[in-house]
Amino acid sequence: MTDASSIRNTHAPIHPDWWSKSVAGVVLGFSLAIAVAGLFAWIGPGGPAAVNKLQFIMWLVVPIWLGVASVCFLFRSGRQAWLWLGCANILAHTALLAARSPLLH
Amino acid sequence: MAIRTDVVRLYRQVHTWTGILTGLILFVCFYAGALTMFKEPLERWITPPVAVTPATLDRAEDLVAATRALRPEVRDFTLAVEPALAGEAPLRLTWTEERFDPAPWAATLAPDGSVAVEQLNPSGIGLLVDFLHRTVGIPGDLDIGTTVTGIASALYVVALVSGVIILLPSLVKDFLILRVTRNVKRLWLDAHNVLGLISLPFHLVIALSAVVFGLHDHIYDTLDRVVYGGQMRAVAAASSPFRTVSKDMGPAGMLPPKEFLTRVHSLAPGFQPVSLEYHDAGTGAATVRVWGYDPRYLVRREGFVLMGAVDGRIIDTEYMPGHQNGWSATVSAFFALHFGSFGGGIVRWSYFLLGLAGAALFYTGNLLWIESRRRTERQAKGRSIVGPVEQSRTTRLLGAGTVGVCLGCVAGLSLTIAAGKWLSGLVDDLHAWHWGIYYAVFLGACAWAFFRGASRAGVELLWASAVATAAIPATSLLGLVMPGLWLSDGLIGVDLVALAGGLVFAAMARGAERRALSGPRDSVWASPVERSDSEMGVQPLAHPAE
Repeated sequence: MTDASSIRNTHAPIHPDWWSKSVAGVVLGFSLAIAVAGLFAWIGPGGPAAVNKLQFIMWLVVPIWLGVASVCFLFRSGRQAWLWLGCANILAHTALLAARSPLLH
Repeated sequence: MAIRTDVVRLYRQVHTWTGILTGLILFVCFYAGALTMFKEPLERWITPPVAVTPATLDRAEDLVAATRALRPEVRDFTLAVEPALAGEAPLRLTWTEERFDPAPWAATLAPDGSVAVEQLNPSGIGLLVDFLHRTVGIPGDLDIGTTVTGIASALYVVALVSGVIILLPSLVKDFLILRVTRNVKRLWLDAHNVLGLISLPFHLVIALSAVVFGLHDHIYDTLDRVVYGGQMRAVAAASSPFRTVSKDMGPAGMLPPKEFLTRVHSLAPGFQPVSLEYHDAGTGAATVRVWGYDPRYLVRREGFVLMGAVDGRIIDTEYMPGHQNGWSATVSAFFALHFGSFGGGIVRWSYFLLGLAGAALFYTGNLLWIESRRRTERQAKGRSIVGPVEQSRTTRLLGAGTVGVCLGCVAGLSLTIAAGKWLSGLVDDLHAWHWGIYYAVFLGACAWAFFRGASRAGVELLWASAVATAAIPATSLLGLVMPGLWLSDGLIGVDLVALAGGLVFAAMARGAERRALSGPRDSVWASPVERSDSEMGVQPLAHPAE
């Protein structure tokens, strides 16, 4: 969503911020991918214990992680990358904690 | 498709850096990976022919019983079914003492019913190309090498995505156009783009699955802590094919091997069994995994059905083609797409060619970077547009590294394959010799490239690769007349492919030679000897080729 809007916003320049964006993409992209895959493990079909679902969850991490790491250079600046990916991480990990919480089941 | 020019510029840099950092590692992975498609024929090409006593599977029951009596401590072993049925190998039980054992043990049945146990010494060329493919030859623990290739593959995914973003704006206009003009760089760029685009789905699948293969331990560790609350082991155990097998280690009889094959056939008639893998043989917990393949399905290298060895009941079919649940089938499909283990010979050959094309993609990528550096260095130094550019140290080093690593890998693999046939039967540990020869050639080529410089070493190492590769069919040809060598039956394909490879490398060597003499004077690839004496004479060529 952020990526699309930063493409459309034709007047704002994109700062390369190589180090900042790369680290954000690799680190925050990885933790986001873990949370999203984990959410799918807990609330997706079959629940976390379905036979051989664990392997599928592990495979799911890689395309999400590297997808985020690839497109995060579209953020206008390194700060934007950390801000957006950080918020996405907080949301995803909160949702994962909620999905894992036995109180909700 | 309209994409902002500053986005394209940004991603051109992403593509360049990820490419430069990983190109050489990925070249080795792809070149060796292409060879893994045919590692069994390579192994047989090197192994001297032996008269195989045709043994039917009827005797397998006696073999298992006699081996069990002789070596009761060996409870996990494999009975190879396919080569015995095809008459390619004697009927034998094999077992290993470690996971990747280059010299497994084997028990065979003599005509009088006695059992002979010996340690096998296969050439190990299959293991070599496999390890090279996974670790780029980084010595030591397998984990270090696979982590390195896993990280390189992650960068390679980013390089692929950025490559597509760069190409999108000009995709419609330029797609599949090869501009064969005097402009060498343009030609390389077009070749690089065409190769990359037409094999993009292949590259995406290979890249993503290679990241999984290289980094799965780390991902599992994180999932365990963050997602499964430290209970991942229990979740994995609940998915294990062995989850319902009893722990009964008391002695128990087993069904004859043929019985398992009959039961598998009635379960899945299209399934072609390759081997029977016994676990805890002779106990109440004894199981047999019937490994095999079914070309109609996407499965891992091979699939299996797990059966009870005592009663022959079907225990688990989660790894059996056509009998898996959705999760297993999806994951298996990714394995199959990486290994090319579906669709039979056509897919095998396609993967072989796509692997070689992938190696070419990384080679051309590096060449392109080196060529563009020349232009940017000219601009940066504000030199007159016609004057030659002094190559920077980085460019010279990357040029030398590219030819050294890539051609060292090619020449090393070819020579160690050819040498296998010469050394077979002469040396004790052929496996170690294979590695020794490969490393000697590879490191020698790298040293030579840095010593001689990219332009001279490029030509010389291409000739060396051509000669080393041609040595494979030459060895077979000598087998017709020389005692101690032989022409491998039914493996003419190995020789023909190597012959074609040798001719291609020779053609590339001639091309590189021509370019060194008559190409742009200020290129890394220009012959350094010519520079001083006739600079004016060749100067006009520098410009049009830029």
